[in-house]
Amino acid sequence: MALLEIQHLSKFFGGLAANADVSFSVEQGDIVGLIGPNGAGKTTLFDCITGFHRPDRGEVRFRGVRLNGKSPDKICKLGLARTWQKVRPLARLSVIENVMVGAFARTRDPEAARAEALEQLRVVGLLPRAAQAAGGLPIGERKKLEVARVLATGPTLLLLDEVMGGLNPTESDEVIELVLALRKAGLTFVVIEHDMRAIMRISDRVVVLNSGEKLAEGTPAQVVEDRDVVAAYLGEAP
Amino acid sequence: MISLERPAVRAALRWLPAALAVTALAAFPFAVTKPYPINMGVVLFLAVLMGSAWNVLGGYAGQYSVGHAAYFGVGAYTAVLLFERHQVAPWFGLPAAMLAAVLVGVVIGGITFRLRGPYFVLASIAVAEIIRLAALHFRSFTNGAEGFVIASAPSIHLLGVELSFGTKRSFYWLTLALAVAAVLVSRAVLRARLGYLLLAIREDQDAAHSLGIGLSWNKNLALAISAALTGLAGAVFAGYTRFIDPSAAFGLDVSVRMVLVCLVGGIGRVEGPIIGAAILIPLEEVLRNPGGLETVGLLPRGSELVAFVGRWISPAHLLVDGLIMVLVILFAPEGVAGLLRRLRARRRESAAAAPSPAP
Repeated sequence: MALLEIQHLSKFFGGLAANADVSFSVEQGDIVGLIGPNGAGKTTLFDCITGFHRPDRGEVRFRGVRLNGKSPDKICKLGLARTWQKVRPLARLSVIENVMVGAFARTRDPEAARAEALEQLRVVGLLPRAAQAAGGLPIGERKKLEVARVLATGPTLLLLDEVMGGLNPTESDEVIELVLALRKAGLTFVVIEHDMRAIMRISDRVVVLNSGEKLAEGTPAQVVEDRDVVAAYLGEAP
Repeated sequence: MISLERPAVRAALRWLPAALAVTALAAFPFAVTKPYPINMGVVLFLAVLMGSAWNVLGGYAGQYSVGHAAYFGVGAYTAVLLFERHQVAPWFGLPAAMLAAVLVGVVIGGITFRLRGPYFVLASIAVAEIIRLAALHFRSFTNGAEGFVIASAPSIHLLGVELSFGTKRSFYWLTLALAVAAVLVSRAVLRARLGYLLLAIREDQDAAHSLGIGLSWNKNLALAISAALTGLAGAVFAGYTRFIDPSAAFGLDVSVRMVLVCLVGGIGRVEGPIIGAAILIPLEEVLRNPGGLETVGLLPRGSELVAFVGRWISPAHLLVDGLIMVLVILFAPEGVAGLLRRLRARRRESAAAAPSPAP
């Protein structure tokens, strides 16, 4: 059984189908890239999976449990967590307090949460910033904070929504190394990313969305050769 | 020999100023027995109690309720109705008042917590006004606009000491104890897991939700704590003034003053309500009734200052509240507590920047 199964999922906003009959599955230990032009419905799909939107049709199953209609906090506690495309630091809390909030998904004890937060800050390399206000971090470190915070919730499946957007190449490489290391440690990922270089490097499989529909699925090499995908990105060949 | 470096000793030293202040306040009625300062103490301690109560929901969870009069009034009416109609002693009326306020709070919270930002604020005002109008309307239950005058005040025996509910001094000590308890509760909430979750909800509800924080459960938990303390304040207030009616118990000004105390002191900080009450209440009491300063001998009898304030400022003392609010929003948006913290940080910075003496 796949870790995450998305079956015939559709989401409508008024008459617009943000997701139309999307199906794919994610196996334990996979890194699945989710790509597509702007407005293809990638973030909407994340919202549907994590409980911020309710799918109008179809269903989402995580470890066999149906997620439709479950609230975001319940889904997070099942071990399926997400980051946000537009980072959402808890601005007036310190960096370590941000991560502690994530750790409280698994513990009631503030000291245990602090220890867990320190560990995750070390993992993403933000330890020197622990005492600073999260609102004052530059964008690259905000993205790392977003990852540390969500790691602290103890997920088995992580949905990363453009964590490399706005980063310089060095920072991007750091995040890529981090994702690969975490996968080695047993985590599974679905990654939305515009940076094709990064997607090619980390993904085992790539799912392409266009206008809410699944356009293609396959290995990175298969997908870039796919005529429909090329057409969606560059326009029809003459 | 006791070393100052030992953690237990350091912790005790940190508590020392607060403990001394509370002891001094508790001893105050033995030194001064005039009713004017004792009354001011009761009003001040109630303001600390209510401000700390509001702070848990408004300051930590960021849910700016301007309808806390609902819980204050329900607490007041619960204790008074139990006493007047069923002869339940006020001592037992207090927990009943807290419970009633919590129950009303959970119902109100269930309805209004779906709303965010200004919509929540407006709904909280509306709900409190509905309850005030209901208290005016259902006269057979609440006595309507007449309210209740509590004629006899029973005394209670606590550990062999008779505490009369009839004297101002008993209320002084009672409200002091409750204010201290409320500050400790507020501090404990902030340092516990719940405090972190509430702050996360305040900063970004969706981010908090995605990190496994149940929004309605935690908001209602904060409201329950807040409402219980507010209901308690209402019941004590009713016992103290021996009179309640719908406008004293459910009036919008009750809600606004709770917010104001926190706003001036510092919203979301444990010490905020203490500072806010310490600034607002004495100022308000003196401006409202400047003659009191003569009775305690701070000003000579027939003072021109008292005459001036009594003539020109007392009728408009609420304007002074407004003026303070404007000043705070302009110059100390994080309240006086925030201002103090910033000044201290700046002083530390300039001390660090100054060339250190050569080793």
